[in-house]
Amino acid sequence: MKTIFTFLLFIVAMQSYAQTEISGKITDEKGIAIPGANIYLEGTYDGASSDENGNFKFNTSETGTKILIVSYLSFETFKKQIEVSNFKNQTIKLRESVNTLDAVIVSAGTFEAGDKARVSVLKPLDIVTTAGSAGDIIAALNTLPGTQTVGESGRLFVRGGEADETQTFVDGLRVAQPYGATAQNLPTRGRFSPFLFNGISFSTGGYSAEFGEALSSVLTLNTIDEPTQEQTDISLMTVGLGIGNTQKWNKNSLTFNAAYINLEPYQKLIPQAVDWNKPYQSLSGEMVYRYQFKNGLLKIYGAFDVSQFDINQEDINQPEKVRFDLRNDNFYGNASYKGTFGDNWNLHTGISYGLGVNKIGVNSDQVENDENALHLKMKVGKKITERIKITAGADYFVTDFDEKFTEFQGETFNVGYQNSIAAAFAESDIFFSKKLAMKIGARASQNSLLDEFRISPRASFAYKVSKNGQFSFAYGDFVQTPRADYIKYSDNFQSEKASHYILNFQHNKNGRLFRAEAYYKKYDDLVKFDTEMAQFNSAFSNDGSGFAKGIDIFWRDNKTFKNTDYWVSYSYIDTERNYLNFLNQVTPSFVADHTLSIVTKHWIEDWKSQIGFSYVVNSGRPYNNPNEATFMNGKTKAFQNLSFNWAYLLSQQKILYFSVSNIIGTDNVFGYQYSNSPDMNGQFQRRAIGQPADRFFFVGFFWTISENKKTNQLENL
Amino acid sequence: MTKIIITIVLLVTSQLFSQGQFEQGMGKAFALWGEGKNTEASAMFERIASAEKENWLPNYYVVLVNTTTAFATKDKEQMNALLSKAQSALDVELNKYPNNAELLVMQAMIHTAWIAFDPMTNGMKLSGKVMEIYAKAEQIEPNNPRVIFSKAEFEMGSAKFFGTDTKPICAQIEKSIELFATFKPQTVFHPNWGLERAQEAAKNCK
Repeated sequence: MKTIFTFLLFIVAMQSYAQTEISGKITDEKGIAIPGANIYLEGTYDGASSDENGNFKFNTSETGTKILIVSYLSFETFKKQIEVSNFKNQTIKLRESVNTLDAVIVSAGTFEAGDKARVSVLKPLDIVTTAGSAGDIIAALNTLPGTQTVGESGRLFVRGGEADETQTFVDGLRVAQPYGATAQNLPTRGRFSPFLFNGISFSTGGYSAEFGEALSSVLTLNTIDEPTQEQTDISLMTVGLGIGNTQKWNKNSLTFNAAYINLEPYQKLIPQAVDWNKPYQSLSGEMVYRYQFKNGLLKIYGAFDVSQFDINQEDINQPEKVRFDLRNDNFYGNASYKGTFGDNWNLHTGISYGLGVNKIGVNSDQVENDENALHLKMKVGKKITERIKITAGADYFVTDFDEKFTEFQGETFNVGYQNSIAAAFAESDIFFSKKLAMKIGARASQNSLLDEFRISPRASFAYKVSKNGQFSFAYGDFVQTPRADYIKYSDNFQSEKASHYILNFQHNKNGRLFRAEAYYKKYDDLVKFDTEMAQFNSAFSNDGSGFAKGIDIFWRDNKTFKNTDYWVSYSYIDTERNYLNFLNQVTPSFVADHTLSIVTKHWIEDWKSQIGFSYVVNSGRPYNNPNEATFMNGKTKAFQNLSFNWAYLLSQQKILYFSVSNIIGTDNVFGYQYSNSPDMNGQFQRRAIGQPADRFFFVGFFWTISENKKTNQLENL
Repeated sequence: MTKIIITIVLLVTSQLFSQGQFEQGMGKAFALWGEGKNTEASAMFERIASAEKENWLPNYYVVLVNTTTAFATKDKEQMNALLSKAQSALDVELNKYPNNAELLVMQAMIHTAWIAFDPMTNGMKLSGKVMEIYAKAEQIEPNNPRVIFSKAEFEMGSAKFFGTDTKPICAQIEKSIELFATFKPQTVFHPNWGLERAQEAAKNCK
């Protein structure tokens, strides 16, 4: 009896211990042992951790084929079907995960800001807190290297390119009219409120095949995917008021904001060099609606802007000031969906529509124009492995522009054009290792108006040379339809063309980022014409060309000085072009050879305040002096601007904000307008183009009320 | 007789074998964690999670071990790796149990660690989210001491920063201590931590 019992126990025990040993060694790709890796059979308790020599062994009662899993931090998880009875002393090599902070990134040409960026140059809040930016995304980007400070324009001029060589995208869809309407020589601003966006990527060249119709630069703004909480924002400013609100319910969320800006009270208080009949006023609003699907996100974005002003501007060729009045109605809307499906596929698709209507009066002449711009886009991507990703997609752009010019008591001229561009692109991101990565692609486009087909290759490489440093190289060809100002008069054009070569070095360590970029850019097929201004009887051609080369340096540091964050940008550029009605190849008037900007922010704990300074200085810009024999031989004096801001936190949710631009009141001159004909002494008279006011003061009170009563209501300081 | 014995032996053994495996494994993992062998403990919990697909506890501890380790590390690279590991384990369970208050507390903790990782970038973005998650957890389990305490602990940080009155927050910490006293975990492996930290925090209130 006892024997039977013992025997039975033995059998049972045998059964449970009839086990197979699994053993081996875990190493990295170079064969160096990995201790602490977790090795186990999927769906079982059987497994072990590797010892300090990377060795492991464990017993299992499983039989047949099972899936062996090896996981370890910062390495790709290894999965393999094995024969349980036959897995001994095998070496498993883990591959380093390329999704880690220290993996190489293809970064030539691009500045990232926002959540997803691993090396983010600007943070979303920086836009609002950069002194002198006054909440304008564009103004904050103008503190980055590669941009030109063109004070009389306010737009983005990148690496010797004109402002319209930069194309703006919201959630991947084109914004045809990214800037507010303005008069000549009065700076404009971007239309977008920085609070709605949490990802900004600003590329100064060599960008992905996904983007076309841009010779110099691409600015992509992504709206916030998921607002963090329900809240109301109220702003009271010396220039107007604003209100915003966010609601969330179930899988939906809605954010809107509206602003009314009227410069009249401010300009009554502080004298301006500009003679306004009716100062600038605008009513604008933006809205984002989001719906979260199980595997995707639908976003609908809409923005409108109605602005008007009436101004008298000096003109050297007119005895009296020229009256210029403008009303601009602008609408932009887009709907986009991004999501995942199937086996590691992702989809991003959408449609955008922009409508800009201008009614302009120049003395008694009338100009009315409207532009309708449509963009359809679809992009699919697939992660084939952890290391290879492919993307392909298509774009369809339609632009319809009409303009009516009515002379005072005279004739009416109509001009306009309609153009559609169909494009397709494909691109692949390949990681050869954690150190070496490549992005390669091409874009093909068919332009209906110009009747041309173009293929533009793009390629970039990145190689990591040390733990914190890496080199990148990018090359790309870019084409863009000539701007409406010319194409409205003639369709006898080709696309303008640019090629970029960029070499980038980046070093990023503990809150300190150093970035240096050298580039060469070649322009071909630029528009030329033979008249004073582009007009219906100009003889147009694509015979223009040019180049730009230079170095951009960026340094950002938020570590060295406590509670202080600062960045320094320096750009050197050498560029010349022969385009428009230029007599020969020269540096255009919007380019300063040297640009330096320093932005600092300092948090003072005791005062609950952040104070910031921005200092921008650039060398003189060329202008053409008809009194001299050489074309474009003049140089303005250097430009400088020191701005200051102070944000005081009354409480976590109430901010008092004060800023002043150009504190020292430098009388900056951007260029000169010369008379068309010489005076009695044979001299051409001139007029300086300067700032509308020496300084700009701004006081604002910003109040956030979150509805979630139990949350951070740290009121009543 | 023999038959009976065989049956009993077989029954007991198999019972022990299948039931005991979970307890044994969890026990071993806790022991490793107690010895400070966090990597091994996390690995053990991860293995149990792979076998017990219906049980959220093993992954809960993968999250807890890695997140607490992340808070203690200074190496940003390591911290990023640990938090990514924690987040992917949490995603698995939150996907199955989106209204589990204990899991929500873990999500808030991961976000808090990211805020500590880079306050400049993540502070603005995640603070609101953390409060929203705590509010949701509180709605689901208003008397869960960990929810009440973790929320108060998070609020304490910003209150101190802005110099606002911490009394209402301290009251919440006291409340959580009372709740800890009466809290009964469903099983020995269910979350039951936090009392000591709450008592520590309460001391700072005085």
